[in-house]
Amino acid sequence: MTNLTIWVLALPLLGFIILGLAGRALTRTGILTVALGTSGLAFLFAALGFLSMLGAPPTSPASGDQVFYTWVNSGIIGTIPGVPAGAASGGAPFTISFGLLFDPLSATMLMIVTGVGFLIHIYSAGYMEDDPGFWRFFAYMNFFLFAMALLVSADNFLFLLVGWALVGLASFLLIGFWYQRRSAVAAAQKALVINIIGDFSLMIAIFLIFKHFQTLNYFSDSNGNPGVFNQLPGNATHATLIIICLLLFLACAAKSAQLPLYMWLPDAMEGPTPVSALIHAATMVTAGVYLIARANQLFEFAPTALLIVAIIGGATALFAATIAVFQLDIKRVLAYSTISQLGYMFMGEGAHDYGAGIFHLTTHAYFKALLFLGAGAVIHALGGEQDMREMGGLRYRLKITFWTFLIAALAISGIPPLSGFWSKDEILSSLLAQATAVGGKTGAIFYLLWGIGLLTAGLTAFYMFRLVLGIFGGSYRGRGPVQHGHDDEEGEEEGLHGAQGRGGIYAIFEAPAIMTVPLIILAVLSAIGGLVGSFSLIGVTRWHPLAKFLDPVFSNPLWATMPVAVHAASLKVQWISTGLSVGLGLLGILGAWAIYRNGFQYKENKNPLYQLVFHKYYVDEILIAVLIDPLLWLGRAASRLLEGNVLDGGSQGVAWVFGRTGGMLRRLQTGYMRNYALAILFGVVLIIVYYAVRG
Amino acid sequence: MPIPISWYLIVSAFIFTIGVTGVLIRRNPLIIFMSIELMLNAVNLSFIAFSHYLDSVDGQMFVFLVLTVAAAEVVVGLAIIVSIFRTRRDIDVDDMNVLRG
Repeated sequence: MTNLTIWVLALPLLGFIILGLAGRALTRTGILTVALGTSGLAFLFAALGFLSMLGAPPTSPASGDQVFYTWVNSGIIGTIPGVPAGAASGGAPFTISFGLLFDPLSATMLMIVTGVGFLIHIYSAGYMEDDPGFWRFFAYMNFFLFAMALLVSADNFLFLLVGWALVGLASFLLIGFWYQRRSAVAAAQKALVINIIGDFSLMIAIFLIFKHFQTLNYFSDSNGNPGVFNQLPGNATHATLIIICLLLFLACAAKSAQLPLYMWLPDAMEGPTPVSALIHAATMVTAGVYLIARANQLFEFAPTALLIVAIIGGATALFAATIAVFQLDIKRVLAYSTISQLGYMFMGEGAHDYGAGIFHLTTHAYFKALLFLGAGAVIHALGGEQDMREMGGLRYRLKITFWTFLIAALAISGIPPLSGFWSKDEILSSLLAQATAVGGKTGAIFYLLWGIGLLTAGLTAFYMFRLVLGIFGGSYRGRGPVQHGHDDEEGEEEGLHGAQGRGGIYAIFEAPAIMTVPLIILAVLSAIGGLVGSFSLIGVTRWHPLAKFLDPVFSNPLWATMPVAVHAASLKVQWISTGLSVGLGLLGILGAWAIYRNGFQYKENKNPLYQLVFHKYYVDEILIAVLIDPLLWLGRAASRLLEGNVLDGGSQGVAWVFGRTGGMLRRLQTGYMRNYALAILFGVVLIIVYYAVRG
Repeated sequence: MPIPISWYLIVSAFIFTIGVTGVLIRRNPLIIFMSIELMLNAVNLSFIAFSHYLDSVDGQMFVFLVLTVAAAEVVVGLAIIVSIFRTRRDIDVDDMNVLRG
């Protein structure tokens, strides 16, 4: 096994530096060479490392750790009671190193990040072709790849935080990429503010980890000093562990758009569509799922926190799915769908099945990236139109997009044997297995979550096919692509067909090959990507290469003593759960077919319940009324009253006092010498009188 | 019969008062300078008187010091007055009020 992670980090960083410094001067080809070259090589190195790990699995959790330099070496030895000390017997000198951990989890994440990232880089070459900020876009994208690779491969919590914050920055930069748009800037600020809440929570969690474990490394370092996961539960009490885990989860909720911090993700769709695909669907938003999987050892010692993770995940999954059902903007449908699927992943992790969470993360990266890229191809073909009411019938004009989009929609709906089926059903059967095995109140909660999962599966299938039929089904409802100065050929066509001046459906063309090839590759991955998952359904127990691969990360000999064990789903449970979810998925598809068979029609609906969901439960409005308006009012009042009267008044008052005093005193300076002489005389007389009187 | 010291002091105070009055009311800087000299010499007179009365040479030492300083002061002062006269063609002290606040 070779740790090539440093190259996966360094290459996109190099690309970012080159593009950031010299991008403006480079030609289009030069920019693409740098951007695609660095991201492609990063993927190559990630793949090589991954393959070498398949050939020689790591012998211990930290065997793939590679420390590059020690940043902090305090030399202070803190003794941790009740913890077997490492080589430095009696305690561990506190050090913080920049190290990269290469284990099955980070290897898998690196493959997804660089693989999907590379495909989206290729796609962006076509999508962003006409944009004046071409070089800036690729500089940011490369920067994101670097930050995300750092996040998933850091070997301690501190550099995890660095990567965590840097991906937030990349997200901010890319959401606000079209900074001329006021809405894009507002969305970027919203995303940043909400992400900072999560970063802050992660910081506090790290402080607590430092306080109670006196190290920030995940695993023992080469000196044998125990890492956080090696010394559990350490001298941390159960309550402390729960607090640490909940703080970690709050960070995850902000990054992965879970309740109650999900609001930024739908707004983040203001960014260019490849950004939505890469950052806000496939990779960055899954950082939370990664963090919980990474810290699974901590969470296993705090089952209460894990249960809260599952409950929040379930609530988010259902909540977001209901909103997605009524959205009209195709990217917003996909955004809420992403939130909902992330909820699934957290549910899976909450049911102690971290492997299932990561598995769903993987397949979701494929099909959600594909959905976004497909939506991007539609938007590109329509010249920027995102409203479903202006689409329809595009299956004739955008054939490749249609078929790949359909595969992705089937995959997310959990139709066998596409990838989403395997991963989603693994989560659902894990939930059911927990429910049946645990019993009692916790069991009831897991039954409820399982029901929510099934319901959400049905809803997912419904809104996905509402989207598919809305874009591609029925007949064309729009007025042709918005003109953005393509070439004369299109203009002629417009003259022939464009009764309303915009060219109609015949002015719509499929995207160039540079955009459709990534679609096709992702479609293949969406179709067969789930095959690394479970075949245990048909009795081939544990034919699950991904789970086997990840197993070393998600097991710990300490857990033998734990009250909560991880329950593997039995064959019966799997069949019940799978049957129900596929049935509901098909029902959802049929429902969408029944309603939108002839294309999407938007009808005004005055039903208050409909209006409630259509307006996304008025969450944004409530936030504005409860939080933003009072703050703005306070600010305005303060600027009017406090600033005008108190602050300005104070400083002006001081100036007035000195001005007036000086004005009075200046009269003493007559400039006549005799006045001064008289003053001196008076002074002398006074002094003499004083001494005379005093005697 | 020796002259009592109070006589000397009365003469000294009288001359000093003439000097002060001259400084305060005259407008010609040369006269003002003379008045200053009167004040200094009035003080010198009392120094000498006390020196004799107390039978100590300290007072006479001071007189030499005061005379030296007075000479230096007159040199600087006259130079300033000449320089002012060159620029303004006029040395009335009541017109010299450019430092008024």
